[in-house]
Amino acid sequence: MLQSIVLSGLAIGSVYALIGVAYNVMYSASRVFSFTAGTLGMIGGILGSLFILRMGLPIWLGFVLALAGGALFGVVTEILAVRPVLKSLDQHLYVLSTLALALMTQQFAAIEWSTEPQPFPRIFDLPRGGFDQTFWLPMLACVVTIVGLELLYRHTLVGHAFLAIAEDNYAARALGLPERNLRIASFAIAGAIGALAGFAGGQLLLAFFANAPLLTFYGFVPVALGGMGNNRGAVAAGLILGLFQQAANFLVGGIFASVAVFAAFIFVLLAFPDGLAGPSTQRRV
Amino acid sequence: MPTSAGELLRVSGLSTGYGKVIVLRGIDLTIGAGEIVALLGPNGAGKTTLLRAVSGLLPWSGSVQFGGRDLSGAGPRETAKAGLVHVIEGHRVFTQQSVFDNLLLAAYDLPRGERNARVEEALGFFPEIAEKRHERAVALSGGQQQMLAVAQGLVRRPKLLMLDEPSAGLSPVLVDRVFVVVGRLRETGTAVLLVEQLIEKALALADRVYALARGSIVLQAATTEADLPHRLELAYFATAERRVN
Amino acid sequence: MTEIPETQPSPPRASFFGSGAFSHVLPFLILLAIGIALPLFAGGYWGVIAQRACVYWVLAAGLNLLVGFAGQLAIGWVALLTLGAYTSSVLATGNVLPPIHPYLALAVAGAVGAVFGVIVGLPALRLRTFYFAITTLGFATIVTQIALAWTSVTGGGVGVQGPVLPPPFDSQWGFYYFCFGIAAVCTWMTMNVAASRFGRALTAIRDAEVAAEASGISKPGLLVTVFLFSGAVAGVAGGLFASLQSYITPDAFTIELSVLFFIGILIGGRGSVLGPLLGTILLTVLPELAAPLVAWSTFLYATLLLVIVLAMPGGIADLLDFKNRRPLQSNRAIVPRPELLPRLLGEHRNSGKLTLEDVALNFGGVHAIDGLDLTINPGEVHGLIGPNGSGKTTTLNVISGYYAPQRGTAKLGGEVLPALARHTRAQMRIARTFQTPRLVGEASVLENVMIGGTIDGQGTFAESLISLPRHRRDEAMLRENATLALSIVGLERLAAVRTDRLQHSELRFVEIARALMLRPAFLLLDEPAAGLSAEEIRRLGALVVEIAKTGTGVLLVEHHADLIFDICHQVTVLNLGKKLAAGTPAEIRSHREVVNAYLGG
Repeated sequence: MLQSIVLSGLAIGSVYALIGVAYNVMYSASRVFSFTAGTLGMIGGILGSLFILRMGLPIWLGFVLALAGGALFGVVTEILAVRPVLKSLDQHLYVLSTLALALMTQQFAAIEWSTEPQPFPRIFDLPRGGFDQTFWLPMLACVVTIVGLELLYRHTLVGHAFLAIAEDNYAARALGLPERNLRIASFAIAGAIGALAGFAGGQLLLAFFANAPLLTFYGFVPVALGGMGNNRGAVAAGLILGLFQQAANFLVGGIFASVAVFAAFIFVLLAFPDGLAGPSTQRRV
Repeated sequence: MPTSAGELLRVSGLSTGYGKVIVLRGIDLTIGAGEIVALLGPNGAGKTTLLRAVSGLLPWSGSVQFGGRDLSGAGPRETAKAGLVHVIEGHRVFTQQSVFDNLLLAAYDLPRGERNARVEEALGFFPEIAEKRHERAVALSGGQQQMLAVAQGLVRRPKLLMLDEPSAGLSPVLVDRVFVVVGRLRETGTAVLLVEQLIEKALALADRVYALARGSIVLQAATTEADLPHRLELAYFATAERRVN
Repeated sequence: MTEIPETQPSPPRASFFGSGAFSHVLPFLILLAIGIALPLFAGGYWGVIAQRACVYWVLAAGLNLLVGFAGQLAIGWVALLTLGAYTSSVLATGNVLPPIHPYLALAVAGAVGAVFGVIVGLPALRLRTFYFAITTLGFATIVTQIALAWTSVTGGGVGVQGPVLPPPFDSQWGFYYFCFGIAAVCTWMTMNVAASRFGRALTAIRDAEVAAEASGISKPGLLVTVFLFSGAVAGVAGGLFASLQSYITPDAFTIELSVLFFIGILIGGRGSVLGPLLGTILLTVLPELAAPLVAWSTFLYATLLLVIVLAMPGGIADLLDFKNRRPLQSNRAIVPRPELLPRLLGEHRNSGKLTLEDVALNFGGVHAIDGLDLTINPGEVHGLIGPNGSGKTTTLNVISGYYAPQRGTAKLGGEVLPALARHTRAQMRIARTFQTPRLVGEASVLENVMIGGTIDGQGTFAESLISLPRHRRDEAMLRENATLALSIVGLERLAAVRTDRLQHSELRFVEIARALMLRPAFLLLDEPAAGLSAEEIRRLGALVVEIAKTGTGVLLVEHHADLIFDICHQVTVLNLGKKLAAGTPAEIRSHREVVNAYLGG
């Protein structure tokens, strides 16, 4: 039982962590928390199933197209729902525009795809059982993403520019950095990461439209607990969340597991409004 | 006055502000190539606002010509590419990145092969921070951060460098060191528009001076003219003078 | 019916059939008449839709105070509908406890809704907007999951029977009238709150939180009250919903339903009751107009929401606001009438001096203020000047309780001002204005000024809900004082205008009028002359001098040297957080060091 809790907990936790990272990447570039983060996960799952199972494309191609679809949706989010409200962030309108886009996409998927969970293909032709790909795929995706982002942020000029914009948007603009293009790029990256979460976790969560609100909530928990904009914090908190949820599932059963997660979340948030790790480096408040 | 042949920046009838608040009305100002011009004025007169407008950080109406080019609608990236570089107030460098990376960011738009050379060139002006090139900017003192900010501006080899209160929060020794570099820019032919609160130092360095008060230019003069501090004071307190007496 | 007199919309008066009030109520009366007469001209199918619209509105009416007025993005409020529905169904059916009367079950549903409304609302008191939005969403998801899984009580996926009301409310139109009655009462109650100091305080929390605090409005207390009310009506709506459905299963309570309420309110427009009412009716009826719309309804709502946010943030209420589309006179001047000041401020108030003693405060090692002593006398204008970053605004923020000094104290008449308790300053009659005017753009100028007098009201929230005499007395008093305050600053002709249509200079005077509503012992003005023309600055100066003459001590933080030297009794010059000089304007004017530091700027 312990093995099962740990495996499924780390697997689902990796999905939450990746959605949390998608939240963070969008937030760092725009100071906007987007309700579309969970939608990205849904898109990854549905597009994967659509391209590979329904349209019969090769798995690698389906994977690439699903990620591209997520990236495209990220860019659309930036153009349609984020850029127009950047000037009035204090009025919280951004919450509503991204919410509207998330709902539209989710409803579109429910109608045009299916209102029932649809099967997701197995990616590798390996025997089932034990440490199955259902579990290790999301974990692998999480590791690859984190390593990739660290390399990007540390060793490339574009990555430094992303960090600069996240730290001090005004100074970055004054320096002549192409702030708008970098923001679009961030949303594309976040889109691909979110879609990757949905694709890698596809065998766990299936291709289901209702994953969108679920992931929007559970993906935000790691952000809130790990500290806004803090990717390492999000991954740690995401994995803990997954383990906690699965443990509660096994120990007290389905209903009270959700209640326990929710109650713990609210409690921790009220006690530590800036997250368990404290706020990420900020200046000029 | 600069001759029109050597004229680099011509601002005419510029008005700008924040939302409903109009801060500057009908500003006229010119800067010649290689000239050092000080922009002085009391608190809240709109000096920083003027720099922001000219560098495209704020929308404005009127006309701004730079090197013969019309800058209407240009954002900070376009103005910087054109050679008009704005070093904003408060030495806001990127604290979590190294000195070298901070300067590389300023070279973002330069061809890949030239970036390192340009960064080294800028570091050459400030040996003090060149030594700390691999340290994160958060570890620098306020004065060193200011040097870094100025160095960021120099990476692009600007035709005009606009410095907003480079002395703010710095000890006198550090101020002098920053000002020495500004003086050396004259040799390289870089024009400077300097917003300063240390009037005497600014006047010692600059060729010409503009004074801004209540949203308008109230005085312009060559720094060689006599009795300048007193005239500046009169210009600032124009209305107060009338009433107090 | 009386004839409607044709008058210009002068500042609205309290008399009911005065054109202002009547035209305000007219749309509701029309809706009331249509609602009552509905069975006469609509068939049974429309009856069901009308029932649903009424039930939805009962919830949306309460949610409107939370979303439209207080600006709290409670997306998952459907959770309380779910709770109310299950509570009333389970209790009335008696599948756990012995069955209870449906009315009692409905009341319990309301009580449960109120309790959970506060629980769900708690994060809003401490956390950022998005966090609160997400927690309500999470709560909604979880309540549905529990309903599905807790089979012994909720019947799980099979569901549970909804309560059946006793005659005459068991027939279709009988039940309709029952729901309609509750909806009408909810409408009336929220209109009362909207027009009360509580409604205005909510909009202040939404759009100008710092100004709300400076006016003595306690955000947590007020929000908890509203969570209670919104939760209660949502619980009742849930009970009605269960009766309407006659059988409830968890899949009736989708996020889509929650979004319907939420979007209905936003389409209606923030800070309005009529708009969200029409919005809710619109969203309920829209899918019935064409069959394909049923499936696509949420998509449609979401698209509407996006359009509203991007293209017309004012919503329906804005479209209906004909009054504010009339152009304003363009060359209007602000002509203050300080001679009216004694009528508003009354006798000389004696509160002693406002003093700072050895106050020090640093931010991350930088000394913002470093051992500052300052005394402001009642009846004097005290100027505070200095270069950028010299600590002027920080000083003002220490007095008004935004920062806790690391050393030293601020005192009023010998009594220590509690640090970081911003909303206590209004009780001590310390009023302030802000560098950037903080006003509710969508409210009228008069309403904005009335916000300043919030703490002088006597009635409670409950009294305002049902419009008891104390509530009406408060409103009359606040209205009268605010009209007077506007006359004093010279803006009474703009009383009924939406505040965001005013010019910047007018906004500064509105802020002063709002501050005067506190009958301040001390008035803190943060760069009041910024952005004003020379003539306006002169009038401002004259007004400030007259305010001081009534006994109010004024602290004037200003860059405009001319204004400072013109009107101040005392001037303190700060530099690098320390007092550089202090004295009369003439002394300061001849102070060499000051001239250098100040000119530096």
